[in-house]
Amino acid sequence: MSDYIIEMNHITKRFPGIVANDDVSIQVKKGEIYALLGENGAGKSTLMSMLFGMYEPDKGEIIIRGEKVKIQSPNHATKLNIGMVHQHFKLVSNYTIAENIIMGMEPVKKTLGLFRSVDLKKANEDILALSRKFGLEVDPTRVIEQVNVSMQQRVEILKMLYREAEILIFDEPTAVLTPQEIEFLLEIIRSLRDDGKTIILITHKLEEIKKIADRCAILCRGRLIDVLDVASTDTKTMANLMVGREVSFTVDKPAPKYGKEVLRVEHLTVRNEDKYEVVKDVSFSIREGEIFVVAGVSGNGQIELADAIAGLVKPAGGTVTLNGADITSCSIRKRNLAGISYIPEDRHNVGLVMDYTLADNLALKSYFKEPFSRKGVMHGEEFTAYGDRLIDKYDIRSSQGNDTIVRSMSGGNQQKAIIAREIELGSSLTIFVQPTRGLDIGAIENIHKQIIGERSKGKAILLISLELDEVMNLADTIGVIYNGEIQKIADAGELTSSQVGEFMMGVGGRHEEK
Amino acid sequence: MKKNSNSIIHKLIFQTIGHEKRQHYMIPVFTIVLSLIFGAVVIALLGNNPFKAYYNLLQGSGLAPKASYAGHKGMITDFTSFLNALTPMLFAALAVLIALRAGLFNIGVSGQMLAAGFTATILIGYSELPAVLAKPLVVLIGFAVGALAGALVGYFKHRFNINEVVSTIMFNYIFQYVVSFLINTFYVDPVSRQSRNVGAAGRLTLVDVVIGDYKMDIPLGILLAAVGIAVSAFVLNKTTLGFEIKAVGSSTRAAEYAGIQVGRTRVLAMMLSGGFSGLAGVTYYMGYFASIQPKVLVSTGYDAIAVALLGNSSPIGIIFSSFLITVISKGSTYMNSASGVQAEIASAITGIILLFSACGAFIKYKAGRWKEEQKQSGHQASDGRAA
Amino acid sequence: MNTIIIDGLSFALPLFIMAIGGIYCERSGITNLAIEGLQGFGAFCGALFAVCIAQYFAGNSPVPFYLAMLFAFLGGMLFSLLHAMLCIKFKANQVISGVVINILAMALTEFMTKQINASVFGAASNKFVLGVSARITVPVLSQIPVLGAVFTNLYPFEIVIAVIALITWYVLYKTRFGLHLRACGDNPHAVDAAGIEVSRVRLIAVMASGALSGLGGICFAYSISANFSSNIYSGYGYLAIAALIFGNWKIMPTLGACLLFGFARSGGYELVKVLEMPSSYQDLVMVLPYVLTLLMLIFFSKKNHAPKALGVIYDKGAR
Repeated sequence: MSDYIIEMNHITKRFPGIVANDDVSIQVKKGEIYALLGENGAGKSTLMSMLFGMYEPDKGEIIIRGEKVKIQSPNHATKLNIGMVHQHFKLVSNYTIAENIIMGMEPVKKTLGLFRSVDLKKANEDILALSRKFGLEVDPTRVIEQVNVSMQQRVEILKMLYREAEILIFDEPTAVLTPQEIEFLLEIIRSLRDDGKTIILITHKLEEIKKIADRCAILCRGRLIDVLDVASTDTKTMANLMVGREVSFTVDKPAPKYGKEVLRVEHLTVRNEDKYEVVKDVSFSIREGEIFVVAGVSGNGQIELADAIAGLVKPAGGTVTLNGADITSCSIRKRNLAGISYIPEDRHNVGLVMDYTLADNLALKSYFKEPFSRKGVMHGEEFTAYGDRLIDKYDIRSSQGNDTIVRSMSGGNQQKAIIAREIELGSSLTIFVQPTRGLDIGAIENIHKQIIGERSKGKAILLISLELDEVMNLADTIGVIYNGEIQKIADAGELTSSQVGEFMMGVGGRHEEK
Repeated sequence: MKKNSNSIIHKLIFQTIGHEKRQHYMIPVFTIVLSLIFGAVVIALLGNNPFKAYYNLLQGSGLAPKASYAGHKGMITDFTSFLNALTPMLFAALAVLIALRAGLFNIGVSGQMLAAGFTATILIGYSELPAVLAKPLVVLIGFAVGALAGALVGYFKHRFNINEVVSTIMFNYIFQYVVSFLINTFYVDPVSRQSRNVGAAGRLTLVDVVIGDYKMDIPLGILLAAVGIAVSAFVLNKTTLGFEIKAVGSSTRAAEYAGIQVGRTRVLAMMLSGGFSGLAGVTYYMGYFASIQPKVLVSTGYDAIAVALLGNSSPIGIIFSSFLITVISKGSTYMNSASGVQAEIASAITGIILLFSACGAFIKYKAGRWKEEQKQSGHQASDGRAA
Repeated sequence: MNTIIIDGLSFALPLFIMAIGGIYCERSGITNLAIEGLQGFGAFCGALFAVCIAQYFAGNSPVPFYLAMLFAFLGGMLFSLLHAMLCIKFKANQVISGVVINILAMALTEFMTKQINASVFGAASNKFVLGVSARITVPVLSQIPVLGAVFTNLYPFEIVIAVIALITWYVLYKTRFGLHLRACGDNPHAVDAAGIEVSRVRLIAVMASGALSGLGGICFAYSISANFSSNIYSGYGYLAIAALIFGNWKIMPTLGACLLFGFARSGGYELVKVLEMPSSYQDLVMVLPYVLTLLMLIFFSKKNHAPKALGVIYDKGAR
């Protein structure tokens, strides 16, 4: 009997078009924190999905506690005491915390000794006890859509613990958390390990690995590169192994040259569908040649702020002024023509018409203008010529060029197409919302260069970012948003990343006096 | 052995459908063939000869010679009568198609037809206007009333977020009962129990025209339908309005983001859709027929859904699919008298065609996956060789 | 007044049971516009069975009616498998699937009714004649002023529906299965992660919808129309959908909406009778529920929240 609790040997998994895992072997000891490091698309999640029974490997074997197993379903994985917190939480939004945790393993009582029904009272008690035991306190009766992301993550962790999982897989657990929440989570993970649980942590953040992991496997393009002892390796080495080449952590950025004011937002308030204020009395301005970054944790109103400036939602109050003209009540089309480009967060549902060809999508904001159309009649050859030019200039790769249906393109190239279209509009203001989300390091570098290029051209840039590194690297001015309110606006040089982190939590500025 | 033959059939089917360029017409053809086989089995089970029955359908539509004809009748008169029935079907299919392109499901075509047909009937059909004035007016009123009814549905969707399927159905019943009430109260012909016949001046079909030895009905609407198809093809493929309609149809949020006014586009698309329903209505009630039966909604509006889906939502495609569906429905009466097969089987076959059409996306997906698998195994084979 | 309540209830309850079926289906995340077709096909199966066995029972025996109900229940369930197959397995557009099923149901039942009448019973008819179900009056309870009408001249099916409605309420809100079903309509991925088969839950939900629709259909056939013919397709299925939308996909408020439809209809008829208007004015009364539906949709559509995953094709791989 080996001393490994998990052995995955020679695992190969193919999907149409790609080899997600190519002969990968890892062994995990009981009671350790084992990190899986790699870029997006390196095959980390696929490997773990196989351990959790969501896919079956094409080749290779999985050995759990010394026994060879074929894990056929998440159910089966649960029986083997394996639990997983997915990157996208799998929670029912209109159910209570307790209902979410017990789902699939509900305690049952008999009403009148006859009718079997779910015993919610017992569930609430059990979960309260469980959450206290692990220091993850929750109110079991609260509804998921009314609690914040970090609480939702707790629910996911409790779900595993409720099912008595011994092997806990965390898929990019810190992506949605503030720095302080991350600290807390890492603390929890550490204490779970001390309780004897085995933990696998999927991440691409090196500091986290350095902080808590015992060992670290590095994956690159589906292959296992190396398994390292974390304590004796420095982050630079890990980064180079992960990307497969030298990486520079900083972005070259010349000193800013500000021009006149382009955008002015005053007392902007936005309500959501339930009449709840998601953006509260926000004011700021952006000058030519300035990158203004709105930093904040996901769901604090920054998307709604961007939507309101671009005209996708109507503000409940306040004004938006572009180049001196009040555009608060203008239509989206008018704003586009007045000089706003917008790279939205959701590239699939908003940024692109997925069933349209690449050429049509590249002309999505100019199809009605000359030379694309005259008097409402479109000229196909103009679309083709324009498409060819942008495809070439921005290196957009696809199978059939202009005629490719964008649905069939890769995420990185879809994003390139959107950025190409928006930059080519030549607007005075460009709004980027999480432009690098889900892209690999190469693509991220490329997009950062383009943002800085636009700045050099004297454009005003509003960047909305959840990544603290991105904020610190690119910003000329930082505005931190929390709960719909701007907490702090300052020159980038005046704030450290931990200060920004505190403002993101809504607790910044308290120590300012000292 | 069985598995082997299965996979050969598999291969044959997917090779024909799998080809992307051919897919847009191969899938409908596949659908039709399956449905006709299904119908043939049913007919055979009922003890009739399916080939004879299907041949009867062609005969009834003037596409094949019958054994004998009454005086002044011939294949050509059957054929013009077939065209007479085809005209409203073409318009109705255009109506469904345009709405479908905007992501809306207009199943209120029948109701819109009735509203337009009835309005034109009482305003022009019962008037004394001369033909040169009456006929264009009928067309105009038909289009306008239909467009209004359609626009209302579009407006409800835009303003109140009312699912268009539910609202069009509600309007169908409202039109049906209100028109029935009005006919029974004011315009009823006591003998036929239908609305009084419209005058020849307003009618869009020239009745009993004597050409050579034959007396035939000539539908003027068919020319209008040809124009309608050409116009819709142009609007959908070559104009900014078409670009906008299709963008709204495939993703409202992306369309909105691109600066397209989604509500306005939807209302416009429903107006066009309703307008074509209106033309279907006047060519039906004041062309193919000359009166309205109270309390009855014609099936044309529903058959048109099959036509539009089958025609792959393309204006050119629906020429072929309308032809087919009209042959089935028009020829069924003759099939009943000649072979004794219940005429209702026509709509049953149409229904089956619809059912298979709805699976079109799945067939496409399967074919795509089959191709992918073929590629994969091809790769693996070549990998093996390389190793 | 009594007539309004009596007739209103006998219309509202079958509508209600169909709407409950719709709630099951839609709360599981499958759009169901097929209720109209399901109730028609169910009624066809029930009516066919009733006609076939009629000769073995006395003219006033209630047995054929109960058996018809059972077969309508099964028939609707059977036909709903089509919708389940298209929506769950074939991942077809659920709206299109629903409409297709309605059209198909109408075409098939019309054809089969005529064919069976011709070849089995040797009659050229497009309907199965059923007669109207007998009515009962609950002793004591019917003596209560005003409310007593609720227990007067009841169709037996109204009691059956009330019992089934109670059971469905209990299953949906109190049992494990109900918990899973409602979760499927919000986030099927969560259900899948909890080790529950989403497609199985949805299949059962669609089948329940088919069964309850079939039941509703046969009740209409035995009360309003007294036969099975294409008249059964009068848009009641769509009214049921409208009712469940007003009811915000919850059972109790949906009952309210159904009662409103029922009383509006019976009230209208009563008005025509009282004012001694010619019978063609009944057509105007017939319009009432549909107009009411549109008006109510105008006022309620924006406020209501459909289940989050409604109509979204569930793909295990996608996140």
